[in-house]
Amino acid sequence: MDKPTLLLLILVLTTAGYYFGRKRSLDIVSGKVQELHSLPSYYGYYLAMWVGVPTLLLLLIWLGFEGAVLSRLVVADLPGELQGDSGERAALLINEIRNTMAGAGSGSGDPSIQAAANHYRHLQAVSDWLLSLGVIALAALGGWFGHRQIEVEQRARNKVEKGTMVFLIACSTIAIFTTVGIVLSVVFESVLFFQKVPVTDFLFGLRWSPQMAIRADQVGSSGAFGAVPLFTGTLLISFIAMVVAVPIGLMSAIYLAEYASPRVRTVAKPLLEILAGVPTVVYGFFAALTVAPYIRDLGQSLGLDVSSESALAAGLVMGVMIIPFVSSLSDDFINAVPQSLRDGAYALGATQSETIRQVIIPAALPGIVGGILLAVSRAIGETMIVVMAAGLSANLTANPLAAVTTVTTQIVTLLVGDQEFDSPKTLAAFALGLVLFLVTLMLNIAALMIVRKYREQYE
Amino acid sequence: MNSLLELKTAMRDERTEVKPAKRLGTNVSFDRDYGDTVGEVTASNARMVCRDVNVFYGPKQAIHGVNLDIGRNEVIALIGPSGCGKSTFIRCLNRMNDTIVGCRVTGSIQLDGQDIYDPQMDVVPLRAQIGMVFQKPNPFPKSIYENVAYGPRIHGLTQNKAELEEVVENSLRRAGLWDEVKDSLDQPGTSLSGGQQQRLCIARTIAVNPEVILMDEPCSALDPIATARIEQLIDELRMQFTIAIVTHSMQQAARVSQRTAYFHLGKLIEVGETAQVFTNPRHQLTEDYITGRFG
Amino acid sequence: MNSASSSRPITPGETLAKVKAGLPRRRAAERRFRAYGLAAIVGGLVVLAILLLDILFKGHSAFWQTRIELDVFVDPAMVAASSDERTRLMEADYSGMIRQGLGKLFPEVTERGRKRSLGALLSGGAPYELRDRVVADPALIGQTIPIWVTASPDVDMFEKGQLGAPDTDSFRLKSDQIEWLARLKQEHRLEKRFNTQFFSAGDSREPEQSGIWGAAVGSFFTLLVTLSLSLPMGIAAAIYLEEFAPRNRWTDVIEVNINNLAAVPSIVFGLLGLAVFINFFQLPRSSPLVGGLVLTLMTLPVIIIAGRSALKAVPPSIREAALGVGASSMQTVLHHVLPLALPGMLTGGIIGMARALGESAPLLMIGMVAFIVDVPGSVMDPATVLPVQIYLWADSPERAFVERTSAAILVLLAFLILMNGLAVYLRRRFERRW
Repeated sequence: MDKPTLLLLILVLTTAGYYFGRKRSLDIVSGKVQELHSLPSYYGYYLAMWVGVPTLLLLLIWLGFEGAVLSRLVVADLPGELQGDSGERAALLINEIRNTMAGAGSGSGDPSIQAAANHYRHLQAVSDWLLSLGVIALAALGGWFGHRQIEVEQRARNKVEKGTMVFLIACSTIAIFTTVGIVLSVVFESVLFFQKVPVTDFLFGLRWSPQMAIRADQVGSSGAFGAVPLFTGTLLISFIAMVVAVPIGLMSAIYLAEYASPRVRTVAKPLLEILAGVPTVVYGFFAALTVAPYIRDLGQSLGLDVSSESALAAGLVMGVMIIPFVSSLSDDFINAVPQSLRDGAYALGATQSETIRQVIIPAALPGIVGGILLAVSRAIGETMIVVMAAGLSANLTANPLAAVTTVTTQIVTLLVGDQEFDSPKTLAAFALGLVLFLVTLMLNIAALMIVRKYREQYE
Repeated sequence: MNSLLELKTAMRDERTEVKPAKRLGTNVSFDRDYGDTVGEVTASNARMVCRDVNVFYGPKQAIHGVNLDIGRNEVIALIGPSGCGKSTFIRCLNRMNDTIVGCRVTGSIQLDGQDIYDPQMDVVPLRAQIGMVFQKPNPFPKSIYENVAYGPRIHGLTQNKAELEEVVENSLRRAGLWDEVKDSLDQPGTSLSGGQQQRLCIARTIAVNPEVILMDEPCSALDPIATARIEQLIDELRMQFTIAIVTHSMQQAARVSQRTAYFHLGKLIEVGETAQVFTNPRHQLTEDYITGRFG
Repeated sequence: MNSASSSRPITPGETLAKVKAGLPRRRAAERRFRAYGLAAIVGGLVVLAILLLDILFKGHSAFWQTRIELDVFVDPAMVAASSDERTRLMEADYSGMIRQGLGKLFPEVTERGRKRSLGALLSGGAPYELRDRVVADPALIGQTIPIWVTASPDVDMFEKGQLGAPDTDSFRLKSDQIEWLARLKQEHRLEKRFNTQFFSAGDSREPEQSGIWGAAVGSFFTLLVTLSLSLPMGIAAAIYLEEFAPRNRWTDVIEVNINNLAAVPSIVFGLLGLAVFINFFQLPRSSPLVGGLVLTLMTLPVIIIAGRSALKAVPPSIREAALGVGASSMQTVLHHVLPLALPGMLTGGIIGMARALGESAPLLMIGMVAFIVDVPGSVMDPATVLPVQIYLWADSPERAFVERTSAAILVLLAFLILMNGLAVYLRRRFERRW
């Protein structure tokens, strides 16, 4: 049986477990429900738990490790000359074998690959068969055990609730596992990278040219992995974005919160928030096909030399994307400033703008700064706009009219397409990912702390 | 005995209605019709004159036809049970109600003969003339010095730094706060105790040199010692300013004011000399309130 | 009052005069400030309008496709001789038949080079359209049938007026081709018709044969995985953290984690997916399963945060009432609190799904950028999704892909508006004030 069918089978068996558990509890007391410790349905859930949980776990574990185990088995059985010794080669082989199996036929010319594909297919069938057997056996075992446990005094409700609680707790820890997963995956590959390219060269090197290192075997040409141009490019574009987003976002939040009539507010606010709902790939398209050519033509007519992938175009569009982010956060914080402060200023005869500029904004400042930090973190991590509208040339420049590249652009460029997992080119992407994660993590935590402190102040 | 009982039941029935059923005094003079209000609505030396003031929140009417004068260099106390409209009324006097969406004021309120609800009237100089102190101390999130200097600064009242410093010092002195804060002027205003904060707010108000100061239950958030300090301050300030104070404490009204106005369900029931209102109320509702039958 | 004597007394009149002197300047500052605010809002809205109009303007034409009507004789001689009926029909020389049909319309074109330019008026996919007709109805063999076939992208662009000026590089039609087109038009054999292929085809290297159906199905499978994982897990996590979790260091760590994950760049999730799901667990590359898993991890924080605020909005009196009649705390939450919070949670879920639908960066990392022609049949098949399809098309040099890209964006935006509209509706419909 294939896996979707198995999943269905498990669901059916679980439902059956519920039915039989309930029936069994009623049979024990011959229908006198009040003699039972718990309601009959809880005995049903209890038995269903015994059937469903172990089988689902087995299915998940199988799904997780089947691929890895099977490919190792297949590679181990390959003729020696194909195997080679590097893991890189094995990964390519597996890809080829899988392609052959899928009938894509890119490497089907080699008979030993063909044989390996057949072998793989055979193993896959055996694995599916074993899994089906395992699921049915576990379901039967669990069902038998659970069924035997059901008796009058059995505290089924407490056990079911305990099981539910374990599920709830497990779900809430996923956030932790995700973070751990992110850290482990980027750190692990980064360490491999830093074994080939020294950390200092990566962090302080001024030349970025990852394409060269892949061709030459001499990875030691470490000058090619100096990430400073990437950092400056990222900062340049983020800076342009913030120059657009902060004034517009802040001023529109102020206007909406303090000046606009309720009617204008109910119309303009959701409209501005549409900007936040537009997918980033759309902004990228807009930046690359509309804004960048426009800026280039405008620059040419002014006699300026503007790159067709200028940092300005990407930055401007990214700024537009961030406007609603700044504006809705600022709006929250401005509204959180107590009315009594406004009253105090008005009662002294301050005008509305004086009240806003000299009392409300200073009072809301920590929150606004926190919001801006979050916005910066967003700008730094934004990918699609820069991938589509910023260039690939790693220029070390502060000129907004020139083409620059960014950390995220390089991660995408390095990882999209065929990759070998051990090449420094691929690993460099993870090192960049590590930097990106750490920087945004620090910005986020700083922002969250500021915002939390601010919220406490006025609560 | 019988008649007395009848009278008491009658009185009890009247309690919910607002009408001048019982006029005790003989020296009441009604030269004009000031609605149902009992007592001397007018003041001989009036600084503010309110005539037929109605306030609406949306469709709901909060103040019904109030007529009241506020005399020069007097402290007038506005008392009454919660929700009687005394705070709403005092916020009309410097147009603080403008900031509330859906609030509408009709009638006329004049300051020195000028209608403050005139469309030509600018609220900025108006509020410079009529300052306000609020129920909860609301110092700005700035230093003590900046809090007091804020008003003179925005209005351009001083020419230079030295003058401004003098104004700040004087205001703090007159608010009785100088000795406590003179060494910590750069500390945030929020670091002070509640009573100190409220005196800081008073200093902030008098730094603009207003003519009238409105106080909306200025002591309700304070402990008795701080309250006593503020009451003493109000008494001192009376020399220079006209003060209207809303209070829920009758004792406070009796201690600090010369005149007292009693509000009930959005209507002004009785106005008079404070001593007279408390010892010899002329309206049944006033008597019921000050004797503690409700409120 | 002890030191009041030291200062020069200022009369209220003086104060008023000073205040009034400063008024014009302050009023002007007020007006300026207000104007800045208004300008910011108007500016934001104008940019939004430009963005949407630009895409609408570029994309609306893709919903129409230029087609040319030919009278094609399905020549039995050109149908291959094969024992297998299906192979026979599939491998017939349909290009030849199309060429003949086109030749019949322009008998005067005989020279080889000109014949080639005539053929270039039609899409390379035209023979397949004929094939599909014949395969569906083999009785057509031996008959002459009128058939509308797709025109080439250059013709399509020309008809839509998007080919640029006649003397530029992008203008690839010759003058005789333009003449022929005019003649076809006169004979009512050239028309712009609703582009059904755009909605039913998968990706293709040829713009006129490409469609969004493959990407749409890929998006559907991906979101199916995301929804069926993130919604139950998000709700469960929200319930635990809001209703049961003790306040201690551990739950603090979880909370900080969730808040931080909500702000981690999406591409980092892509790196996680690549390293863990593809390299470690060896799940199939480019599959909606992996895409869905990555997006699940990405949307989970959003759903948890929304779920918690929905639970927070349920007043404690409900819990007290349920506990008061002897329900266990789990029963209280599952029977009483959760149903009340569910609309809010679903709203959060839909908004999370809308975000996932528009997300592309992490999916690039796990190989969903591959060029995939076939429409995926399950969550394990290689697939792409709508936003990534947009990215791929936006990168294509062909001019005709610009309108396709914009049209795909319009479709994507339509879905997003639908989902957000549903969220707003749910919120309005079930919103309760306690």
